[in-house]
Amino acid sequence: MTTAPAPATEAPVPVWRNVKTIGVIAQVLFVLLVVAGIGVLVNNVTTALARANLPADFSFLGQRAGIPIAETPIRYTVTDSYARALLVGFLNTLKVAVVGVVFASLLGVLFGVMRLSTNWLVRTIATVYVEVLRNIPLAVQIVFWYAAILLPFPPRINNPITLPGGMLLSNVGLAMPWVYPTYRFGAWVPWLVAAVVLAVAITVWRRRDLARRDVVGAVWPYPLVTFALVAVVGYFVASADRAVPAGASVDYAADRGRGTVYRQVDGTREPLSFTPVRVRVESAQLRATSQNLVESRRRADSTVRFPLVFESEAEGIEVVFADAAAAEAAGYRLHVERFPSVSTVYVDRNGNGEFDAGEETNPETGTGYNGVEVLMNLTGFERVVVSDRDGQLRTPVFSAGAAPAQAEETAAPAGRGRFSAFGQAAVQESAETTLEASTEVLGVGPLVVSRATIPVSSFDGGASFTVNYLALVLALVIYTSSFIAEIVRGGIQAVHRGQREAAMALGLSPYQTFSLVVFPQAMRIILPPMISQYLNLTKNSSLASLAGYAELFVVASVVSNQTGAAIPIALLLIGSYLAISLAFSLVLNYVNARFALVER
Amino acid sequence: MFVPIEPRPAPVPTKGPVVWLKKNLFSSPFNTVLTIVTGAVVAFSLYNLAWFVFFDASWGQVWANMKLFAVYRYPADLLWRPLAIAAGLMFLLGGMAGVGGRGSITANTFFALQGFVAVLSVVAVVFWPSVRFLWPMVLVAGYAGYLLGRSWPRLAKLLPWAWAVWFVLGIMLLSGVTPGSGLLRVVPSRDWGGFLLTLVLFTGIIPSFPLGVALALGRNSKLPAIKYFCIAFIEIVRGAPLIMWLFIASLLLPLLLNTDANSLPAILRAYVAITLFSAAYMAENVRGGLQAVPRGQSEAARALGLSAWQTTMLIVLPQALRAVIPAIVGQAIGLFKDTSLVFIVGLVDFFRAGDLVTVQPQSLLVTGGVKLEVYLFVAVIYFFFAYRMSVASRQLERQLGVGVR
Repeated sequence: MTTAPAPATEAPVPVWRNVKTIGVIAQVLFVLLVVAGIGVLVNNVTTALARANLPADFSFLGQRAGIPIAETPIRYTVTDSYARALLVGFLNTLKVAVVGVVFASLLGVLFGVMRLSTNWLVRTIATVYVEVLRNIPLAVQIVFWYAAILLPFPPRINNPITLPGGMLLSNVGLAMPWVYPTYRFGAWVPWLVAAVVLAVAITVWRRRDLARRDVVGAVWPYPLVTFALVAVVGYFVASADRAVPAGASVDYAADRGRGTVYRQVDGTREPLSFTPVRVRVESAQLRATSQNLVESRRRADSTVRFPLVFESEAEGIEVVFADAAAAEAAGYRLHVERFPSVSTVYVDRNGNGEFDAGEETNPETGTGYNGVEVLMNLTGFERVVVSDRDGQLRTPVFSAGAAPAQAEETAAPAGRGRFSAFGQAAVQESAETTLEASTEVLGVGPLVVSRATIPVSSFDGGASFTVNYLALVLALVIYTSSFIAEIVRGGIQAVHRGQREAAMALGLSPYQTFSLVVFPQAMRIILPPMISQYLNLTKNSSLASLAGYAELFVVASVVSNQTGAAIPIALLLIGSYLAISLAFSLVLNYVNARFALVER
Repeated sequence: MFVPIEPRPAPVPTKGPVVWLKKNLFSSPFNTVLTIVTGAVVAFSLYNLAWFVFFDASWGQVWANMKLFAVYRYPADLLWRPLAIAAGLMFLLGGMAGVGGRGSITANTFFALQGFVAVLSVVAVVFWPSVRFLWPMVLVAGYAGYLLGRSWPRLAKLLPWAWAVWFVLGIMLLSGVTPGSGLLRVVPSRDWGGFLLTLVLFTGIIPSFPLGVALALGRNSKLPAIKYFCIAFIEIVRGAPLIMWLFIASLLLPLLLNTDANSLPAILRAYVAITLFSAAYMAENVRGGLQAVPRGQSEAARALGLSAWQTTMLIVLPQALRAVIPAIVGQAIGLFKDTSLVFIVGLVDFFRAGDLVTVQPQSLLVTGGVKLEVYLFVAVIYFFFAYRMSVASRQLERQLGVGVR
């Protein structure tokens, strides 16, 4: 048995050389330094603010903002407060982020998988896509999509591209049908609540059942099917009574193209939101004058554009010159590009009876035949319009099917219609009836599909997205997808080759191998960096000012410029972005915990 | 009886264009369809692009505004000053490339830039009288540096100091020193712009490096006061987008320093914001490197009797930084692209210069405007530099063996 040698007696470390003491002193010094620095800065700021007489607290938030915002997810007018304007900005940020994240993921996964294709061409395309797009600043890309591509996009508002499903795309934006809750929605709510409760209950039961039997199985089909069943049954029960509510009526003026749906309750008018109304106009005219436009990179002279009307909406449509005699005398002819809404005035100079390029331009003046009035005569026009949140309806502005001249003059206030000499003559020549419109409120279930229309020169009904929003989302999606593609490629390549080989050896098809074996394992590697890309996308949406879209940062900078409240706005912005970052890190932590390898 | 056996079939060729095509484009019916469809789409797009670039586009406005793109309002008779700085840059890069030797990453990067300079020199000699001899000088300076580096490898020791001298002298030369109208007269920073400004702001990565290392070390510190201060700084700065910091810096810096807003040039405010923002990201990159250094390294260093300071500076940091060089280059690419955000504080960098060109009266006379041309040009220039850096970063990654170990 040996005893340890007695430790050599060390001289005690002097206090000033003790590591702990030094640490404490260093920290105290550091804190003092920081506090002193902050004190100086705060002092500077307060004196500077006092000198410039700028607000330093949040009391300005309640004042009237007066900031016009084009795209508002919630009700907002210029008379609302700064706080509400900022809220609209925040919601607009979320609107960009949510849609952007979904599409960036889809596009990113597509190109990430393409980069691993066995096909050389596909692989190369994906590589070029990724390399080009992630090496060009996002600011340049946003401006490119907004100012260089979408704004000069050829289809003007009255001549949109009609995509399947009733979507309309033009240089103003994109509109699509949308589902809205009607006044009858309340009847469906109990069913929805019941469906949710049942679904939750069934989830719990299924989880417990699986755990009790100690087997692996899918949980989600059970609650999902239950929810769908109860909700659908409830929908049909709720819409069994489709009667129009008592006292519902429409106040519609065809010559203004506007109306209100309301019902009389105790002598007061209560607007009916999202209510379908069938508008029928027996005989009416739309008027338009030819204009010279620049579309995209080419001139479009002498074009005539009416509000968008589909052929199926009327029993009879004809597009004619307002003054046929004067047009005949000047040699004008009408070339219909898109019946009945878009046409071109031209002079058949070469006399072949057809429209040839160049004939729409006057060789003497070098511009088109401007200001020629054209009429669209409609008989039996019928359209189902869904009122908006405030019960308002909009249709094209009809004029009476060529009423007597005197009536026309009194109907048109000074300065509204710029009637050409031709137009006046036409009115006098023809003698037809006055405008005759009828409306009918239609019965409806809990939900109604609102179709997007173009009553005058903007979208109405359905859901529409401004071109600013589209450009921003497009640029963000494409830019972010190039980063996501690299993450996806890296994740898939990181899955051990043996996994793929083993799956193939078990007889799985290439598709099964990828979707059941490789991809789920790759997801574990892909998700964390992908979520940080989502955060980047959300933060990058602050470049919205380049596309003229009012998101949080844009609204905040306008507010700051108006009020001079730099400090409160800075705090508000930092707080909002930190909250967003925090939300993303919470999701990230959850995903990390959920997808972590369960190790035995 | 002699029965000749059937001649064996010729071996399947494993090389040649036909085999390559079969393997890479037409390996299966699905791939064949894919090739044809994507090929048609690509051909159509390329055809349209080429048609636009060569026939439809009107490049006159881009060509006429080259000075605006390059330096914005920097006086035309003083263009030798930015070009002298460029010559210094190319000389030093050439020196690095020469020391590194042919085929090294610095040499590849240097020669790519030299190619760019050479193209500009030819264009300048033919078309731009005011800089006719200046651009070739930049080219010559680059080659001189390269030759010097090749023949005198000890230059490597001097280079860090030379960079520092270049940086200080460059800023002095750019801003000028004497009042009046002489050769070295002061050029107010509001006249700086275009690509010159983009490069000036890009140098914000240099001061952000020591700051970032300090923040990373602070975050790993055992002293809670320092640690939590660094964590708070890094996370708050990284939590919000750069454009917001630029905006806030332009509003708050004059207030924080209690000075007149005009006495702090916008460029300085933007520089501070970019540097601090970049430092926070740099700190996270460096921290990743610090975590990658095995514990044994610092323990061994302490066992050898090195002080904490020596351990950090001589053992841990060199290994940590070596591991994160590719990440830092990636961050530099990001910063290079992000300098385009300074439009928010009213500076006219390369991107904003393009904006200005599109709204010139002469541009508006062109049917449909010249937006597409201008932004394509801007995008191509940004792409050239950013892509070149990303190629260098990939080479570095391979050379350092990161990801292979």
